[in-house]
Amino acid sequence: MRALIITLVLPVLAACASKGPVLDTTNPSFEGDMPVNFSGSWERDYARSQDVNGALNAMFQQRQREVMQQQQANSMSRVGPVQSGLSQREVNAMIDLARLIEEITRPEVLTISQDAYEVRIARKDDFAMSCAFYDGVAQGTDSQYGAEVCSWEGDDLVSHLVLPGGLIISRRYTLSPDGNQLREITTAKSSATRSPLVLHRYYFKFEAPARAFNCVETLSMKRVCSTGELNP
Amino acid sequence: MRQLAALLCLLPALASAQLNVSIAIFDPGIPEDYSLHQDLEVFPKIRKIESLFLPFVLRQALVDSGEWGAVRVVPEADSAAELLITGTIGHSDGEALAISLRAVDARGHEWVQGTYTTDGHYDRIFDGFLADLLASRGQLDDRTLRGIVGLSLMRYAAALVPDAYGEYFESLPDGTYRLLRLPAETDPMMARVERVRSVEYVMTDAIDQKFRELHDEADAVYEIWREYRRWYTNFRSQEARRNELATSSGESGSYEAMRKAYDNYRMDRLAAQEQDKWIVGFNNEMAPIIDKMEQRIAEMNAFVEEGYADWTRILGELFEIEGSLE
Repeated sequence: MRALIITLVLPVLAACASKGPVLDTTNPSFEGDMPVNFSGSWERDYARSQDVNGALNAMFQQRQREVMQQQQANSMSRVGPVQSGLSQREVNAMIDLARLIEEITRPEVLTISQDAYEVRIARKDDFAMSCAFYDGVAQGTDSQYGAEVCSWEGDDLVSHLVLPGGLIISRRYTLSPDGNQLREITTAKSSATRSPLVLHRYYFKFEAPARAFNCVETLSMKRVCSTGELNP
Repeated sequence: MRQLAALLCLLPALASAQLNVSIAIFDPGIPEDYSLHQDLEVFPKIRKIESLFLPFVLRQALVDSGEWGAVRVVPEADSAAELLITGTIGHSDGEALAISLRAVDARGHEWVQGTYTTDGHYDRIFDGFLADLLASRGQLDDRTLRGIVGLSLMRYAAALVPDAYGEYFESLPDGTYRLLRLPAETDPMMARVERVRSVEYVMTDAIDQKFRELHDEADAVYEIWREYRRWYTNFRSQEARRNELATSSGESGSYEAMRKAYDNYRMDRLAAQEQDKWIVGFNNEMAPIIDKMEQRIAEMNAFVEEGYADWTRILGELFEIEGSLE
């Protein structure tokens, strides 16, 4: 078993009053090779995957349990306001969050390429999620539009994305022991929701059909394709 | 000293002492800490190509000025060169360019040291450096310039036949060199050294030709890259401006606000990934040319190094034989 050390276990998602959550991109690191190879083409397994409505229901139930516990605690101690249930504002926020997550987790196919430095998860109609590590140190991205950093937690690859306004989206990827199934857990939380939305998706590996052409990108001729071997 | 002055007069008269100039390929200036690359906008593959490509632009500017002797781009810095120019790329984003340049003569005296920048006109970046170089040369009289030529030759000769020429100059504690004397004009060993040097110059010129070919092949591709970078920089600033001016997209936590935040991030990442694709395209196009060039240069260097070892041995033996005959 390769030595795997997470020097800084998780990026810290710290609450910040004025700017929303802040992602600590102090680079998580590991030693040795990447623990797992996710390379391949992955198609969603609808039979096992949760849909967003299911995740939303689970989120409601969780919040209702929390509110009820809060009510019981308040009525027993007779302190604090007695909350009658979830506020309409919070309900709307949960629905809004679920709608967004439904949209951004729509791609059915993930194409993952991995080398010694980077795990790249390409999704149709969206940017490729890139987890780059140099000398085992995570290379996060940070701009005015958001911050993203990955880490290895055991054999799980975890990506954290924090966007302006307080939206946090984490994705955890786990490979099954036989290497044929991939689990993706998306956890999302907005500034207006108190509990996260957690969505479980499963993917099975498939062999993408061999391409009829070999293509290479160039600057002067754009994409150059050939049926034979290509040397740019 | 008077004797040395007289001997310097024997060196070929130079039209305003046109020193030969060697330009070492530039240091690409890539920080070892990979995490800095993004913030500093360092594209390592492009930088590596620029470090081979830009010295030729400088070479051309020096040649076009008509003020200098042979100007060569060389794979490694040779401190015995009459005038050696080294450079490190500090910044290059397709639009703005900053290069730290240093010029040192064979005495070890620094002529110019500075960072030169340009916005947009890459071909003009060396204008200031050329002016500084000429100003430095203007401060030296012809005798000093001929002394530099002589010292360069003696340092070369001493490296080849240390026993014969090691005492024709001295190295000073501050790292500079001083010419003490010159061999007789009829010195047969010196004639051999000059022949060896001329052979080496032929090889150096062949290597220089390889850099010239790289420049010719890379020029058009590099211009496409720069055009793209200009577009990209413009796009990014327009995006930032659009976001600043955009009206509120609903209260925090609303679908509209979150969707906008996600879309902004998505566009930012897509633009960055598109740029990565351009870098890969640039590299795909240039890598085979550079590989071929580096292979050829390595072959030529190997030839020179092999020959150099033989020449050193043969000339050393000749020196001993001639010494024993005297």
